[in-house]
Amino acid sequence: MTKPANALEIRGLRAGYDASDVLLGIQMHVGASERVGLFGPNGHGKTTLLNTISRVIRPRAGEVRFMGEPISGLAPQKIVERGLIHVPQANRLFPDMQVLETLELAAFTSRARSDLKQNLDYVLALFPRLAERRAQQCKTLSGGERQMLSIGVGLMCAPRMLMLDEPTLGLSPKLKDELADAIAGISSHGIPLLLVEQDIAFILSLVDRMYLVDHGEISREISRGGEVDHQEIMNMYFGSEAS
Amino acid sequence: MTADTISAIIVSGLVLGSVYALMASGLSMIWTTLGIFNFAHGALMTLGAYVAWTISNSAGLGLGLAAGIAVSIAALIGAGILIERIVVRPFYDDRDILLITVMTTLATMIFLEKGIQLIWGARLKQLPPIIAGKVQLFRTTISAQETLIIVVAPLLLGALWLFLRHSRIGRGIRAVGQNPDAARLIGIDVSRLFITTFAMSAVLAGLTGVLLGSVRLLTPDFGDEPLVKALIIVIFGGLGSLSGTIVAAYLMGIVEAALTFFIGIYWAPSIVFLLLIIVLLFRPQGLMGKVAR
Amino acid sequence: MPISAQWRGWALAALVVVGLLVPFFIQDTYLRHLFIISYIYGVVAASWDLSLGYAGVFNFGHVAFFGVGVYATGLTAKLLGIDPWIAIVIGGVAASAVAAVIALPVVRLQGVYVVLVTFAFSQLILQLVISQSQFTGGTQGMVRVPTLRLPGYNFLRDYKFGYYYVAFALLVLTTICLRRIVRSDFGLSLKALRDNEDYGVSRGIPIGLQRLKVLVASAFFTGIAGGFYVVYLRVASPEVFDFSTASLVLSMVLVGGTSSIYGSIFAALGLTFISEGLANINGLGEGRFMLVAVAMVIVLLFLPKGLASLFTLKARGRPSLEGKISGKF
Repeated sequence: MTKPANALEIRGLRAGYDASDVLLGIQMHVGASERVGLFGPNGHGKTTLLNTISRVIRPRAGEVRFMGEPISGLAPQKIVERGLIHVPQANRLFPDMQVLETLELAAFTSRARSDLKQNLDYVLALFPRLAERRAQQCKTLSGGERQMLSIGVGLMCAPRMLMLDEPTLGLSPKLKDELADAIAGISSHGIPLLLVEQDIAFILSLVDRMYLVDHGEISREISRGGEVDHQEIMNMYFGSEAS
Repeated sequence: MTADTISAIIVSGLVLGSVYALMASGLSMIWTTLGIFNFAHGALMTLGAYVAWTISNSAGLGLGLAAGIAVSIAALIGAGILIERIVVRPFYDDRDILLITVMTTLATMIFLEKGIQLIWGARLKQLPPIIAGKVQLFRTTISAQETLIIVVAPLLLGALWLFLRHSRIGRGIRAVGQNPDAARLIGIDVSRLFITTFAMSAVLAGLTGVLLGSVRLLTPDFGDEPLVKALIIVIFGGLGSLSGTIVAAYLMGIVEAALTFFIGIYWAPSIVFLLLIIVLLFRPQGLMGKVAR
Repeated sequence: MPISAQWRGWALAALVVVGLLVPFFIQDTYLRHLFIISYIYGVVAASWDLSLGYAGVFNFGHVAFFGVGVYATGLTAKLLGIDPWIAIVIGGVAASAVAAVIALPVVRLQGVYVVLVTFAFSQLILQLVISQSQFTGGTQGMVRVPTLRLPGYNFLRDYKFGYYYVAFALLVLTTICLRRIVRSDFGLSLKALRDNEDYGVSRGIPIGLQRLKVLVASAFFTGIAGGFYVVYLRVASPEVFDFSTASLVLSMVLVGGTSSIYGSIFAALGLTFISEGLANINGLGEGRFMLVAVAMVIVLLFLPKGLASLFTLKARGRPSLEGKISGKF
C-alpha cells in the first residue's frame, strides 16, 4: 500500500459553535512529511479548525481526509486511534493527576500502548523538567511546564501527525526557543505537523508552508521557497493601512 | 468509660463505617466522574439484595448464595447501564444536568422500590450470612458476618483505590472527571467510561446490599436510610474526594456508634444530621473536599 | 386591558363557580375526598413552585414543611386540646419557623449544596418525628386527631360536604396570595435573582432576605395545608415525609410547568385523580407510583420547554459534559 501524498486534506469545511458558522469553507492540505503553519488574528477560526478536524465539534459541511481516509464522521477517540493528535491551546490537562500518571495514561489507545516505554523515555529526555516533576500534580506546574506536558501527552499518543495549537502562548523567549527545538526534533522523525501560532518568527523558523486564516477562510498561502517579507505579513494581518 | 464500652463502640463503629464506606464510595465515583447524584443508589442496594435472595433462598430458586451473588452482580451491571442510558445520558448537554438528574434518579428510585414491592411483596426477608457463628473482637462479641463486613469492606475499597490509581481504565475514569475534553483528545471514549463508572457504582451498591441484607431485615425500602446516610457522607467527606468519603464514612460510623451508646438510638440519628448541617454551614466543602466546583 | 387577560379573568371566575358547585353534582363521598386531597396537594405544589420555579431555590425539603404542618397541628390539637382551626394556623406558623431555620444554610450555600442541605434537613425532621414516638406515635403515626368544629355543624356526618368547602377555600385563598406575591415587586425581584443573581445583587437586591422570605411564604401555606390534612383525615403518619409523596408533588410542579401557579394546581388535580384511580386497579396498589415516576422522567425528557423557566438558572455546578465546547481546555 503506497503512502498517500497528503497526510491531511481538507475541502470545503464549514463548522461553528452555535447558529452561525465560524469556518466558511476551508481548503488546505498537509503533505506526508510537511510542516505547515496556520496563522492569523484571534477569533478567525484557527482553533475552531483544529477542533473540527479532531472532531471536538462536528463539521457542518465539507470533507476531512487523514492519510487518505475520510474522518469527518468519526468519533474523536477513533481519530486519536488513527494517530491524528490534537494538542489544544492552554490545556489545563488533569489538575489532580501526577505528571507521570498523565503521560502514562496518554498512551491510552492500543497502538500508543505498544510504544509506551520508548515514547515515555523520549518525552522525558526531551523535557527534562517534566522528568524532575514527575510526581507532582498537574495543577502545580507552571505555564511553561504545562505546555511541555501538553506536548508530551500528545507524543505519548503515538502520533502519525501532530496538530499544535499555540504551544508557545504566554511563554518566555527562552522557553519558546526550547520548545521550538523540541518541536523541530519531533518533526525530524518524519511526523507531519500542523502548527497554529501567533508568533510569526516562531512559525517561520519551523514550517515549510503557511496559511493565513482570515474570517473563517484561507486567504493566503505562503511557501518558504519564496521570500517572506515581514512587512508583507504585517499587511496581511492588519490590512495595508498598517505600514 | 470502660474498656468494654470503648471496644463496643469501636467495633460497632467499624461495622457501620465499613457499610457506609462501601455505599458512599459508589456515589462518590459517580459524582467525581459525571458530576451528578444518583438518588437511585439505595434502591440498587435493595435490588442487589433481593436478587441474591431470590437466587439463593429455598423460597426462591435455591441455588445457593454464591450463585445469588453472581447473578446479583450481573443484574446490577445491567441496571446501572440502563439507568445511565435512560435517565442520565439524555441530559449530558444540559447545563442543569445536576438538578434534572436529581429528579430523574429520584423517579428511578421510586420505580425500582415500588417495582420490588410488586414483585417480591412487602414482607420481611432475610439473606443468610456468608459465615455463621460469633467472633470475639477486642472485648466485644459480634457475629461472624459482621466481622466479614469489617474485613471485606477495606479489601474492596483498597482494590477500588488501586484500580483508580494505577489501572488504565481507572486513571481514565479520574481523567474524565477532571477534564472530559482533554480526555477525549487522548483517545478515551468518554461515554463508555461513564457507563463503566455507573456499572461499577451499581455493583458496589448491590454488594453492600448483599452484605447488609444478612444482618438486617430486607424490605423494599431497605435502601432509603442507607441512601440518605451515603449522601451525607459524600458531602461530609467533601465532594470529589474518594479518600475523604471513606474517612468520613468510618468517622460517621464511630460517631454514630458512640452517640447511640450514650444518647440512645432515638436521638442519635437526629444529632448526626444536625452535625452534618452545622459542618456544611462552616465548611461547605466538607472535611477533605475540594472547593465547590 | 388586553383580551387575553380579560378572558383569563372570566375563565378563573368561572372555575371558582364550578368549584363551588361541585358538591352539588358530586354526591359520592370518595370522589369528594379526591377533590379535597387534590386541593391540598395543589396548595403544596403551588407553594413549592414559588420557591423552586419562581425563586430558583433548590429546596428539596419542601415536603418537610407539609409534614411539620401535619404534626404541629396534630400534636397541638390532640395533646394540648387546642381548637383545630387554631391548630391549623399553628401548623402554618410552625412550618414557617422551620423554613426560617432552613433559610440560614440555604442562603450561605450554592447549587448542589442547597439540594443536599435541604434534603438533609427534611430527613432530620423526619428522624425527630420518628424518635419522639411517645408524642408522635413514631412510625405508627398518630390517630384520633380531633377534627374541625363549628357550632351547630357536624363535619363528620355530612359526607365531606363541609370539608370540601374548607379545602376549596384554602386553595383559592392560597392561589390569590401566591399570585399577589408573584406579581409584587418582591416577586419580580425573585425572578431577577433567579435569572441573573450577580446582576440582581449588584442592583441592591438583598438576596439573603429575599430567599428567606420566599421560603417562609412557601412554607406557610404548605403548613396550613398539612394542618388541614391531619384534621381532615384525623391520622398522621411519617409517610408524609416519604420519597413517594415528595416525588408525586414534584411531578405536579414539573408537569404543571414551573413558574406557573395555575399549572401546578391543575397538575395536582390531574395527578391526584390519576394516581388514586390507579391505586384502585386490582393488584397495582403502590405500583401506581411507578407510573408517576415514569411520567416524571418523560416530562423531563420531552418537555424541557415547559420547564424552561426552571432551567434558566445561572449554572453553578459543573459545566456540561459533552456539548457546549468553547474550545477551552
